[in-house]
Amino acid sequence: MSARVLEIADLTVRYGGNRVLAVDGLSLGAGEVVGVVGANGAGKSTLVNATLGWSRGKPVVSGRVLLDGKDVSALPTPRRVAEGLLLIPEGKLIFGTMTVEENLAEGATDPGPDRRAYSAEDVYSLFPRLKERGGHLGSQLSGGERQMLGIGRALRLAPKALLLDEPSIGLAPKLVSTVLHTVRELCRDGLSVLLVEQNVKAAIAVVDRMILLERGRIVLEGTAGEMRDNPRIAEAYLGTQQA
Amino acid sequence: MNIGLQVAMLAVLAVAGYFLPALFGGSGAVYSAFVLIAIFAVMSYGLDLIVSDLGEVSLAHPVFFAAGAYATGIISVRLGLGPIATLVASIGVAMLLAGVVGLITLRLREFVFSLVTYAVSVVALTLAENWAFLGGSDGLTGIPLFKLDLGVASYRAVTDKDLWPVAYVMLLGVLWIVRAFRRSRLGKAAMTVHLNPRLATMSGIDPQRTRLMVFLVSAPITAAAGWLYAYQRAYISADVLSPYFLILMLTAVVIVGRGLLFAPLIGVALILAQEKFMSFGGYVDRIILGTALILTLSFLPGGLYEAVRALIARLGPAGAKQDTQIEEGATECR
Amino acid sequence: MNVGQQIINGLVLGHSFALVAIGWTVLLGVARLVNFAHGQMYMLGAFVTWAAIAEFGLPYALAIPFTMLVGIAVGFLMQRVMLQLTLKQDLVSIMIVTLGFGHVLHGVAALVFGSTGQILDTPFSTRNVYWNDLWFTWQDVAIVVVTILVFVALKLVLDRTRLGRLARMVAEDPQLALLAGIDVRKVYFGVFAFQGAAVALAGAMIGPRTPILTSMGFDEVIMTFVVVVLGGIGSVWGSYIAGISLGLFTAFFGALVSPAYTTPAAFLVLIAVLVLRPGGLAAKPGGGH
Repeated sequence: MSARVLEIADLTVRYGGNRVLAVDGLSLGAGEVVGVVGANGAGKSTLVNATLGWSRGKPVVSGRVLLDGKDVSALPTPRRVAEGLLLIPEGKLIFGTMTVEENLAEGATDPGPDRRAYSAEDVYSLFPRLKERGGHLGSQLSGGERQMLGIGRALRLAPKALLLDEPSIGLAPKLVSTVLHTVRELCRDGLSVLLVEQNVKAAIAVVDRMILLERGRIVLEGTAGEMRDNPRIAEAYLGTQQA
Repeated sequence: MNIGLQVAMLAVLAVAGYFLPALFGGSGAVYSAFVLIAIFAVMSYGLDLIVSDLGEVSLAHPVFFAAGAYATGIISVRLGLGPIATLVASIGVAMLLAGVVGLITLRLREFVFSLVTYAVSVVALTLAENWAFLGGSDGLTGIPLFKLDLGVASYRAVTDKDLWPVAYVMLLGVLWIVRAFRRSRLGKAAMTVHLNPRLATMSGIDPQRTRLMVFLVSAPITAAAGWLYAYQRAYISADVLSPYFLILMLTAVVIVGRGLLFAPLIGVALILAQEKFMSFGGYVDRIILGTALILTLSFLPGGLYEAVRALIARLGPAGAKQDTQIEEGATECR
Repeated sequence: MNVGQQIINGLVLGHSFALVAIGWTVLLGVARLVNFAHGQMYMLGAFVTWAAIAEFGLPYALAIPFTMLVGIAVGFLMQRVMLQLTLKQDLVSIMIVTLGFGHVLHGVAALVFGSTGQILDTPFSTRNVYWNDLWFTWQDVAIVVVTILVFVALKLVLDRTRLGRLARMVAEDPQLALLAGIDVRKVYFGVFAFQGAAVALAGAMIGPRTPILTSMGFDEVIMTFVVVVLGGIGSVWGSYIAGISLGLFTAFFGALVSPAYTTPAAFLVLIAVLVLRPGGLAAKPGGGH
């Protein structure tokens, strides 16, 4: 892959006195999809949240986050978003009291020539289902529709790098593959995606590279093919799921 | 041995404290100030238990203060009874009110709790101004001198100098009660409910019962201050319910540091020292007091105690430099 | 008792309550903040209007926007001082700090305007309308009209504009709003500015109905609290309806029972509501953070 869109260096996160994450280095190339997998509590969500300087808890974060070579680690979350670093969090990812249209109303202001700003129409053509639901409240949507709306909301803000936290959670297998393949498509437009997934089998089908997190550290890294052949992955993550 | 030494030191401190007004010249104004400091400190300790231990902000405590003062006024003026009877009545009325307020607010938290207790204060003010039984807007005048008759001996307090021993003994008693409360099962339960509600439920602590009990301990303390205040002023009116007392209590509780035994006493002493000896007139004093409250909470969450400690740590031998500085810049997490 | 007259009194009073409360409704609904200095800001609004007319000789029509600017400045200053507490959502400390601000505002107002009462006369307040055996002033009419305009405008802004949408996003989930690239601080500042402007407007409009004193403001906070609880947190129409209901209740209670005890009576209504539906206040629209 060519230029590095996102680079993370020496990122540590502590809750109270406990260090829950220590990632020495992680990078994301232009148009690349990198999967982050690992067990529950391995620090996957902590990693993407800390990249945005965001959290629903009160962690202490240190380290560097570079977006297109620019250090954004001193910026508050909304400024990182404005720079094109977008996170779709796990769980609550849309505004339930607002309609689908309103969720998609906020677009990027002046994103510059190198970032694609998706219009609401672009989002609707990507996810036709959302257009049908335009007037419905976010809280009335199904899990899959919420995921689509969350991605759409992020696309409206012209992301350089898109961080997705567990998009497959609670979705039917068919929907999982629809959502993930749409994400794959987006990368043809030059978007870079960091995909956090517990569903390794679904993730491995769409990623270029994959990272395995265990207890807050990167323990394994490789291309999708390498990872699929790795006995550790096959046994712990693919084997059990195939059974 | 260690505990014995501690008790001995506290005893020496307690005896020394008694002579403080004399040390400051022993004039009438000095004794007045010290009596008021003792009274308002006792008033604040009642609130301290709710704010520091229970972690809620009660804005109804001026009502308990007023309850003590009014009970004392009414009983001594209309029934001619002495200080012991009025103290018992003050405590009884305060516990009754605390029970009612406690039951109403049993399931309320945070700002709803504070708003309802605030409403209790405003309603009490309206009642005190209009209800003839409480003297209406004229208040209650002619409260007799503090005269303790114990059969063999009697004690009469004509001036504030005469009231000082009474106020000082009351202050020591309340300090002892607060210290004992924090070591008691109830005090520990309150702390657990405050800091770790989940652990509290798992340990079989009933949060609602704990809250009610703490209220019932706290209100009589504040009412006792109202009791002595009635004798000190010899006159009680609706202005014992004015927001001044509420702001005074709150500032005293937070300015030095929450949960420290002597903090409210030192807080009251600081405030009254300013008002009695460095006053700029009522309105400016009001601005100073309000500003002190605002600045403490906004910029010194640990109070003056933490601020001074941090300052000493910085001035002291170059200790362990912490890396929080760097991290603060990188963290916008909330 | 003249029932028609009490209905008119109740409606005017009700619109007054609603107008005083609207800033708080938005503050609580969007930012989940409580401002105990609200009553003193109302008092300040009445006195600044009085001073603008009586001391600076401004016409009433200019005195109102001037007062609102002062209200915005006060709201902005408060939010600036409390910024860290707001971002931490430390509600307990915020409440105490706003009580402190109320105390300071009272002191400042007494220092500047003196502790004697004043009469705030406007071109409307001195003109009476007699209609059969009913009586009201043009100021009363102005209060009703302005209140309705403010409520309609607020509803439109919240529902139809980008500003309103941002406010609703922060209201529902401030954390998610950060990820949507919204500077939540700015929204908090905006909400405080709105609250300051709205309550200052209320002071300028309602002050002329009674003599104004620097010691007033406490009853206003209680009435506001009752309106907000009855109407449901953050509900614009709810506040309007609750204001009118409370106004009618107060008018009839004052006429039938005692005018001195209207605040305690309103408080009893509040207690009844809290006991009947204790969850009513805790319910956060759209499940908060």
